[in-house]
Amino acid sequence: MKFAITVFSPPYSPSSRRALRFCEAALAGSHEIVRLFFYQDGVYNASGAIVTSQDETNLGHEWTRFIESNSLDAVVCIAAALKRGVLDETEARRYQRPGDGVVNVPWALSGLGQLHEAAQQADRFIAFGGS
Amino acid sequence: MKSMLIISRQSPWSGPTAREALDIALAGGAFDIPMAILFMDDGVFQLCAGQHAATLQQKDLTANLQALSLFGIDDLYVAQSSLAARAVQPVETLSVKRVSDSEIATLINRYDHTITL
Amino acid sequence: MATLHLHSFSPFTDTRLASGLRILSSGDGVLLCGDAVYALQPGCAIREQLVELTSTCEVIALAEDLESRGIDSLPATIRSIDYAQFVEACARYDRTNTWL
Repeated sequence: MKFAITVFSPPYSPSSRRALRFCEAALAGSHEIVRLFFYQDGVYNASGAIVTSQDETNLGHEWTRFIESNSLDAVVCIAAALKRGVLDETEARRYQRPGDGVVNVPWALSGLGQLHEAAQQADRFIAFGGS
Repeated sequence: MKSMLIISRQSPWSGPTAREALDIALAGGAFDIPMAILFMDDGVFQLCAGQHAATLQQKDLTANLQALSLFGIDDLYVAQSSLAARAVQPVETLSVKRVSDSEIATLINRYDHTITL
Repeated sequence: MATLHLHSFSPFTDTRLASGLRILSSGDGVLLCGDAVYALQPGCAIREQLVELTSTCEVIALAEDLESRGIDSLPATIRSIDYAQFVEACARYDRTNTWL
């Protein structure tokens, strides 16, 4: 079965961790993830600038590893990301913000149309967020 | 095409959620995806008259609501029980269909995808 | 054509679960995770309401959230699930509705 997964919560929320565990289980069960779409505070999962203490899990890093090792399509809503200061190099330059941006490959900034495109391809559209 | 129902249950003043829910709907409409919105719980406050967004340096959400039909989104519903509990009425310029809780239960099962924000 | 409703907010501080239970069709499912599993705290009215609901709707709860909160006795008609079963439940229903 094809799943489109959307994540609405930041990496320090239980629901972002739950989304990742769900995705791992979906792939382990021979399902397909057509796209991961990160919206609202979910865009923070893509930020490479988050620092966690050594005894805490850096869920953003876990997401990055998961996305890379399974060659998944991970799209971050550009409007939600700009609003929250989660920029890639192109956007940092465009808006003359400090640094080179915090979003790097395998993450990609794009529009909400990508959410709908994924939902059109998917058998199930599943959102994770809240507490 | 797969259809999507968005259940919007936040007030327009509680943060970006109400606007970001509408943005999902407008983006879907732009791609000719069959979209519907159900306003329930505090989401019904989005439909009220007499709101003054500028007081809180916010943009007026009702402009986005009026734009929905331009994007082909005409299936707008509002939970009758949520209106009654808050003693509010939707503005007359918006064409919104009132639905009971049991009608909502049936409505959800008519769409391919659903999300509640 | 049934819907699996996903809830993660505590019923004691938030109205999402109460709203969700009002708009269920027979055959729909309710999945509790995160703080929503507090609804299964033994002795609570909401737990009894969920037990009654199981005559028409499936009610399931994420095992890790029950275990982490020390909720270890479930009613006979409410099942605890792992992530593989979470995925299976999402595939089994026609759609999911997450209460964000």
